Order: sequence, then C-alpha cells, then structure tokens
Amino acid sequence: MPYDNYRQEDDDLDYVEDYLGDYGSVRSIVREALPFELIATLGGVVSGVILSGMTNELQMIPGLIVIAPAVLGMRGNISCTLGSRLGSAIHMGLITKIENNPELTNNVAGSLLLSLLLSIVLGIVGHIVTVVLGFESAGVLTLTSIAVIAGVSSGIILAFVAVLLAIGMFRFGFDPDNVVTPAIATIGDIVSMLMIFIAAKVVLLL
Amino acid sequence: MTYYTIRGIVGRGFPILAMTSLIGIAAGQVLNSGMDSLISMPIVLILIPALIKVGGDTGSMLGARLSSSFHMGLGNQLYRNPVVRNSLLAALIVGLTASLFLSIVVWITGKALGIGIAYSTLLALCMIAGSFELIVVFTATVAIAFASHRFGVDPDDTVIPLIATLGDLVGVSGIFFTMYLLGII
Repeated sequence: MPYDNYRQEDDDLDYVEDYLGDYGSVRSIVREALPFELIATLGGVVSGVILSGMTNELQMIPGLIVIAPAVLGMRGNISCTLGSRLGSAIHMGLITKIENNPELTNNVAGSLLLSLLLSIVLGIVGHIVTVVLGFESAGVLTLTSIAVIAGVSSGIILAFVAVLLAIGMFRFGFDPDNVVTPAIATIGDIVSMLMIFIAAKVVLLL
Repeated sequence: MTYYTIRGIVGRGFPILAMTSLIGIAAGQVLNSGMDSLISMPIVLILIPALIKVGGDTGSMLGARLSSSFHMGLGNQLYRNPVVRNSLLAALIVGLTASLFLSIVVWITGKALGIGIAYSTLLALCMIAGSFELIVVFTATVAIAFASHRFGVDPDDTVIPLIATLGDLVGVSGIFFTMYLLGII
C-alpha cells in the first residue's frame, strides 16, 4: 500500500533527524563553518593582494595568468581532497595517530605524486590552449617550470598542514569536514600564490 | 592491505584532476581575455581569488558533508533528506555572509593601498557575482555527490575537485558578467 510505504519513510526520516542531532543542524554547521570561511575570505584577500602586486610579472610572462588559476585550483583540489579523505578516514576510525600509519603516508605520498604529474600537464596544456586561442605565450618550458616549482613546493607545505589540522581539529572536538577544507583552501591559496610569484621571479632570472 | 593506497589515490585522482585542470585553464583564459581591464583595475584583482573561492569553499564543505554522510550510511535519497537540506541551507548562509564580509574587507584594503572604489559598486559586485556563483555551484554539488555515490565512486575523490574548479570558472565569469552589468567595463 503506497500510503503505508510513505508513512514508513516518514518515520525513517524522523528517526534519522533525531539520530543526527547536532551533527546535522543548520545552526551547528554555520557556527563551526562560518568563522573559518570568514578567515578563508581574509586569506583570499591576502592572495589577491599578492596577485595585484604581480602585475609586472603577469605582463612580462604572457600565459602566466592562464595557468595561475589552474595551479591554485589544482593545489586547492589536491590538498582539499587530502583533507576530505583524512576527514572520512578519521570518521571511519582508520587514522588515530600520526606516527607509523600507512593510511596516512599513502594519502600524503599519493597527493604529492599527483601534484607533480598535474603540474607538468598544466604547463603543457596551458601553453597549447593559449597559443591555439591566438594569445601570446611565454613558451611551454617557462610555463611548465613555473607550474612544477609552484605546484610541488606548495604541495609539500600543505600536506604537512592538512595532516596536522585534520588530526588536531578532531582531537579538539571539531568535525574535520567543516574545518579542514576551508582552512586548507585559504592557506593553500596564499602559499601557492606566493610560490607562483617566487617561481615567476626565479624563471625570469634564468 | 590499507584502505587508501598510493596507486588508488593517483589512479582515481588523475583523470578527474586532469579534467579540473582543463576547467581551470578555461577560467584562466577568461581572465586572460579581460587582462587589460584587470591590470587597469587592481582592486578587482584583489577581489578575484577570494570571491571565486567562496563558492568553491562552501560547495566543498557541502560536498564533504554529503560524502561523509554517505560513508556513514546516512544519505540515500535526495528529497526530504535532513542532511542535504540542513547542509544546503547552512552553506548558503555561510556563502552569502562571506560575500558581504568580503566586500567590506576589500573596500578597506583598497583604501589602505590607495586604490579606492565606491563601496556600493563593490557591494553590488560581491553580492550579485556571489549569489550567481553559489546557486550554480550548490546545484552542481548535490547532483555530482549523488551521481558519484550512485555509480560507486568515492565522493571525496570527485566532488571536491570538480566543485572547487567549477567555482573558479563560474566565479570568474560571474565577476566579468557583473562588471559588465554594472557598467564598469
């Protein structure tokens, strides 16, 4: 009987809602996430200030503006999936300590290998797409070197931060899912924008 | 045997991240095509990384929450699901508040750096571009989270990268579109 099924589903949902308690309430999510999102926004403004201070490099290395969002995005993506996986692993009880934990080292090593591979792809594809669309490009070697230097160096820094944050936040009673992702995204943008800036300076010197 | 392996993480991550790199380069090309107006308006350069991130951040948080609830076996249907409903509402509140906050911070930063702009313009730019981005990104987040769960892919590996990058592309396009609407460019 359709009506009964519907009632049954209703009861299930009520049960789920009771069971969820504080995990799912709007108030608790906003209370945990908003402060970090506001800090993330401040971080975004800091990386924006770095970007607006890079106008010289942006003009001297045509194509840099093309790979910049992609490097930032890749960096954020890899570090945030790392953070999110650490969150799920902690929820499942797989990660409880830092030392001698293969779940943890595999997560970090996988992230770093991905960063290296994707930086190379980014530099090459960024150059090709820019040239195909009829814009000027500084060349495949220049763009790839900037992507690799910036991508890998920021990856190493952020892997450290992600692991410490995920485990630390969980110990202090926060849900890592609400905290680690925005925190890494913020620090990630500042670190990678700075590394792009430094990589661009280094490549210009060569 | 560990639950997470290097091969597994790289194998599952690479295809989707290669795809997001393409979307990222598309966002970069949008910036490239508007390069001249950006160089002449550095205040918009300050705004861009933060504004395009609000959608990606809140969308990622939404995605991570949906993903963890799947891992814990809590969310199997889209409609009338308290996890989905509460997470969506919370992400929207956080996203809009952050956009408002951003307009204030950028205005102050601009003043301090001597590249001022009328606050009303900045507010309109943040709120219009921000709302546009949040709506598009959240719709995509819920759709991708449920789709990847249904097809047996770990949502942690798919939702976050796609959403953050989609946020960049939608955000950059939204900013240029709003600047055009407001008659700044």
